[in-house]
Amino acid sequence: MTGLALVLPPFFLLVFFILVPAAEAVLDTLRVERGGQIVYSLVRYAEMLRTISLRRSVVFTILVTLASVGVTFALAYALALYLRFSKGWVSTLLGALFIIPLFIPTVIASFAMVTFLEHHGYVATLLHTIGVEDTPSLVFNATGIVLTEVWASIPFATLVLLAGLQGIDDALIDSARDVGAGALRTFLAVVLPLNTVATVITMSLLFIGILGSFTIPYLVGGNAPQMMSVVMTNYFTNYLRPDISVALAALSFVIAALAGAAYVGGVSHRERGAV
Amino acid sequence: MSAVSAALRQRAGGLFWFWSVGAFRRSLPVLFLAGLAAFILGPLLSLILWAFAGRWFYPALLPQEFSLKWWDVVFGNRSVVSSIKYSLMTAPTVTLLSALICLPAAYAFARFQFPGRRFLLLSFLSANSFPKIGLYISIATLFYRLHLMTTFWGVVLIQLMGTLLFMIWIPTGTFRGINRSLEEAARDVGASSARTFFQITLPIAMPGLLVAGLFAFLAAFDEAQGTLIVGSPNYITMPVMMYTLVLNYPQPVGAVFSILLTVPSLVLLLLAQRLLRQGYLAAGYTL
Repeated sequence: MTGLALVLPPFFLLVFFILVPAAEAVLDTLRVERGGQIVYSLVRYAEMLRTISLRRSVVFTILVTLASVGVTFALAYALALYLRFSKGWVSTLLGALFIIPLFIPTVIASFAMVTFLEHHGYVATLLHTIGVEDTPSLVFNATGIVLTEVWASIPFATLVLLAGLQGIDDALIDSARDVGAGALRTFLAVVLPLNTVATVITMSLLFIGILGSFTIPYLVGGNAPQMMSVVMTNYFTNYLRPDISVALAALSFVIAALAGAAYVGGVSHRERGAV
Repeated sequence: MSAVSAALRQRAGGLFWFWSVGAFRRSLPVLFLAGLAAFILGPLLSLILWAFAGRWFYPALLPQEFSLKWWDVVFGNRSVVSSIKYSLMTAPTVTLLSALICLPAAYAFARFQFPGRRFLLLSFLSANSFPKIGLYISIATLFYRLHLMTTFWGVVLIQLMGTLLFMIWIPTGTFRGINRSLEEAARDVGASSARTFFQITLPIAMPGLLVAGLFAFLAAFDEAQGTLIVGSPNYITMPVMMYTLVLNYPQPVGAVFSILLTVPSLVLLLLAQRLLRQGYLAAGYTL
């Protein structure tokens, strides 16, 4: 019971400042006045799902999030594998490099990406110098959001995946190589299955983080379609429809909760196996 | 499986013929390093050039004229200077407060059995899984009621919410990783439980707690949305100020301010780089 007493202060903060406000906000979106009476109804959600721009925003958000998670995961896995299994100057430099974005505030990362990728930005200037004139549009669209999300997410993903890889016994990898498995086969048959927990953690937490991110899509995204977090803010401040804004937030909670469930499932599976 | 690897070998001979060229395979890591360096450092270098550019027109690779005039503009702006002060006041306060509230809880999660332990530990994920914009609308109402709007402690509280997950999960993983027999040995030779904690457990846990503190500090320092809602117009922190600068001022002003905003965290980077690779973060996330 001492344990419970120690845990309650931060839990009360969580309940009082996050869970209760969230529940209140969502309940409020369900209350509708009908004939002078307050009734509970899903009309706002129906309105939200009927609005074409909102439907497009939901699809766009999910696609951009999945693309960002996929690219980050692939890059971070390659990085983690190299850091785990190679020694030498390349490994040392990569180790110093991948951590840098963690320390750059998101606002700065987005702004830096804009100066780098914009029309007549640094990438365009470099391409012009080597004679390429038709630079594709790299920012203020989905590409810009994905690139910036990947940039900002690499450190977390690499740290978690690397820690997972460090937990794999060298003897297992050596024995796979001894029986003649190539690098690819060793990776697919030994490393990947042994690193499932780290994979699930990385994927689900990246998904939740990117889905809810605001700064990056706000500064680096285009005019339409926009990610849900930006649309929520627009509905709240510009269109003066906080009800739709909260309804969208609720939908976003539900999508994030699915990823959260995947996380809990993946991590608990390991715990049952271990005990 | 052998069919797959045979097919792969065949493809390696055809479409991916270059894979069998030794020089290519040896230079692959260096290419990867160069590509990643360009991707990660490129935007930052472009930012640094902008901060010192007096005049810079496309398509010049470097500014036509270097100048420090934008630094004068930034330091001459009183609200910019005060935003630096507020950020350096709130982020450390939030980190310390978060440690005070969360570390005992993390120790309890790691060492005691109690009903609902796992559920309570997991519940902190919700603090980071609910998109913040949806929450802040109702949080603003709550903060008005509590007279916390536009106050220092209101800003501290809203930033504190974003640090709970790091300050509980990472230290829980760290405490759980410490061998109980060390604590038991100290108790056996007569040390009180408080003395055991402060002289045995805490020093061993310190690197993991520093990693947690680092993540909490960065989360607080980076927080803009909640701070904007709760703090403005009295407490404008650096990231909130950055929104105004990015959207309303010439590019070099944003670049100068970006460099200023990055300095505190870069100092942390130099101090903490070794600690980060030791697996404390992942230990916290494996529950």
